[in-house]
Amino acid sequence: MSSQSDVRFTDFKSDKQPTWCPGCGDFGTMNGMMKGLAETGNDPDNTFVVAGIGCSGKIGTYMHSYALHGVHGRALPVGTGVKMARPDIEVMVAGGDGDGYSIGSGHFVHAVRRNVDMSYVVMDNRIYGLTKGQASPTSRSDFETSTTPEGPKQPPVNPLALALASGATFIAQSFASDALRHQEIIQEAIEHDGFGFVNVFSPCVTFNDVDTYDYFRDSLVDLQEDEDHDATNYEDAKEVILDADKEYQGIMYQDENSVPYHEQHGVTEDMSEIPDGAPEDAMDLVREFY
Amino acid sequence: MAEDLNWAVGGEAGDGIDSTGKIFAQALSRAGRHVFTSKDFASRIRGGYTAYKIRTSVDQVQSVVDRLDILVALTQRTIDENLDELHEGSAIIYDGERSWEADIPEDAAAVDVPLKSLAEDAGGAIMRNIVALGAACEITGFDVEYLDEALEKRFGGKGSKIVENNKEAARLGQEYVQENYDLDLGYDLETTDNDYVLLNGNEAIGMGALAAGCRFYAGYPITPATSIMEYLTGRIEDYGGHVVQAEDELSAINMALGAARSGARSMTATSGAGIDLMTETFGLVATSETPLVITDVQRSGPSTGMPTKQEQGDLNMALYGGHGEVPRFIVAPTTITECFWKTIEAFNLAEKYQTPVFLVSDLAMSVTEQTFSPEAFDMDAVEIDRGKLVEDDEVDEWLDSQGRFRAHAVTDDGVSPRAIPGTTDGAHMSTGLEHDELGRRTEDQDERVQQVDKRSRKVETAKEREEWDYREFGDADADNLVISWGSNEGALIEALEYLEDDGIDVRIISVPYIFPRPDLSDEIDAADDTIVVECNATGQFADVIEHDVLTRVKRINKYTGVRFKADELADEIADKLSQEVPAQ
Repeated sequence: MSSQSDVRFTDFKSDKQPTWCPGCGDFGTMNGMMKGLAETGNDPDNTFVVAGIGCSGKIGTYMHSYALHGVHGRALPVGTGVKMARPDIEVMVAGGDGDGYSIGSGHFVHAVRRNVDMSYVVMDNRIYGLTKGQASPTSRSDFETSTTPEGPKQPPVNPLALALASGATFIAQSFASDALRHQEIIQEAIEHDGFGFVNVFSPCVTFNDVDTYDYFRDSLVDLQEDEDHDATNYEDAKEVILDADKEYQGIMYQDENSVPYHEQHGVTEDMSEIPDGAPEDAMDLVREFY
Repeated sequence: MAEDLNWAVGGEAGDGIDSTGKIFAQALSRAGRHVFTSKDFASRIRGGYTAYKIRTSVDQVQSVVDRLDILVALTQRTIDENLDELHEGSAIIYDGERSWEADIPEDAAAVDVPLKSLAEDAGGAIMRNIVALGAACEITGFDVEYLDEALEKRFGGKGSKIVENNKEAARLGQEYVQENYDLDLGYDLETTDNDYVLLNGNEAIGMGALAAGCRFYAGYPITPATSIMEYLTGRIEDYGGHVVQAEDELSAINMALGAARSGARSMTATSGAGIDLMTETFGLVATSETPLVITDVQRSGPSTGMPTKQEQGDLNMALYGGHGEVPRFIVAPTTITECFWKTIEAFNLAEKYQTPVFLVSDLAMSVTEQTFSPEAFDMDAVEIDRGKLVEDDEVDEWLDSQGRFRAHAVTDDGVSPRAIPGTTDGAHMSTGLEHDELGRRTEDQDERVQQVDKRSRKVETAKEREEWDYREFGDADADNLVISWGSNEGALIEALEYLEDDGIDVRIISVPYIFPRPDLSDEIDAADDTIVVECNATGQFADVIEHDVLTRVKRINKYTGVRFKADELADEIADKLSQEVPAQ
């Protein structure tokens, strides 16, 4: 395994050329992930990336690490299993808004609650891109698509609020195009002791003409520049997360007292190591039944 | 066979029926007697008839029969439910001081014991069932000291006062019968010096998992699989493992998959309704070539069905579940000891061939407690084979010209090298998409065919390398062949005796491998008559056998929700043998 100083972010890049549309936000999102992983001292051989299904799910192919591209919506449970069995491995789960907040929303709530020490990066483009433009759970209520000609007529899911309500210990949001800030935020999520959740505005240039680069550039408020915002303060977090009038970038909330799952449950062993036969004292298991 | 005794306790759910039965079974086991238990229970915590039945003998017992000798009845319904099984020598222990007027069948001995008042004398009404156990000891000539041992095991953790009170309750019950009844029903329970362990099929699966090095279990509570999870919780941690209760079965199997990709021996268990959900992920387990043990403790379906009742209805789902063509192994233990050994085998198969392995058990086996010699679970005989798990220094030979690890390398035996996270230069991608040797998506026709063939080849390799044999009982030269899978084996073995008495010779083949499975062509050809026995309505295994052998077989199907009983099965076999074979 290479030492920290040797690792460059390009080591996390595979030789497969992405088939994302030119200009897709996922390019920027992925760069930030690779840089974040490299900067925090990881290398491909001790990193596991779990990818969902959708445009964002292709990321496992374009990155180089141990990786699984799984079933739609189930990326978080896979990441949970990887991390529990191997606390020594850096686990990053990546997916889209459909994968995480629609088909996988049940897992999202419980992964947040469990507070497993891994990061979760959601490429939120507010549209189903791979299936060519249907409403996603974060689409605006008046957003016209092929399956919602007059808009979904239901409010979009607020993933940050969902996370907060589920007991999150780290909630952040970034913008794929703001490379430096995005990378910093990803790094914070990786380094957080617990479940580091980042919702990334990752514009779809083909099917979403509303939530565009220009829209985010014009409207984004960076919490870093808001001196009044204290990310460790729950009330501050609630205020920005529930503010429907603005789009924020930055760390909304971080619980300084976060106790990750493995510490709560004493799950610290490398479970891949087992003896060649039954455990030495295994006959004790039989004797229990006397 | 030595004289057996059939004993039962029954009442409302919530009356402590299960623990009362278990204590008596434990006492019998301590006395060196074999026991075989069965439960009638409802899917609720309070209310509804529930019973715990024990068949005991100094010989091994493997089935329940349609006879009841001693019945502890806490409700009238307990008596009514069992009327058919009571006979002239039966005794019914009940509490006449309770509000119900016991309606006791004439030929059975009515043993009215003030269970509640005697329990109160011993320290609390809660011990009334223990008073009944003391009474049962007296009627059966069973030394109450064995009951003491079982009480110590059961209540030892709650302090000596509780233990002593319970012992006193048992004594009061015993003495009451001694002083007030002069029964001579002829029961005199023999004891031996043998040491036995008493456990059920789910405990055997859990213990097998620990013996096999299982370190990760994810599950979602469901009857009748939950007790595997409960067994592992509190024990797996001793070996550095962990049990996690997932939010649903979709999550459970994916967590287990994640842990397996991390290199842990990993398992999930559920019942049919949960398998429905897990089916979503079968294909991913297979195409990502992840070793995973998926246990299905079958219960009555479809849909919510009869959640606390027996059925072997999931065979087709195990064989064919999931879209596309999914290579898999299906192992179905036929006894409680086999639940242990087949679990270990399932873990080895999973890692050797990097496939999903279904371990298919059933409700009857999961709740039946049975005695065995501890040597039946000889831990020294446990073998672990992790297959082609590569170490750091073995990675090189599996790298392509550009230094990339070929996790899905096309090999002669179909099995690829397996590198787990942390292995230097082993980093690779796996996916549910069709992929090339490196695990990267492909739609190239040649690569597609190579990967499909390679995955199928693993099954062919396993067919050659492993033993897929059956278990055989009865008369090997008999013209009558009876084939069974899963938990019916014990009842069939005991049915042999009844059939012998009627002059009917039978060869029994009990099949623990559903896929791959033994080829039974020669055996079926050699027999005049073949009957396939299973607990389902349509004869799913019979269909498979007919397909394999291209001939019609007779079928015995039971789908009442209750397992086969030895005497009932003997009658059915005799009856079937007298009928014509169905038309081709």
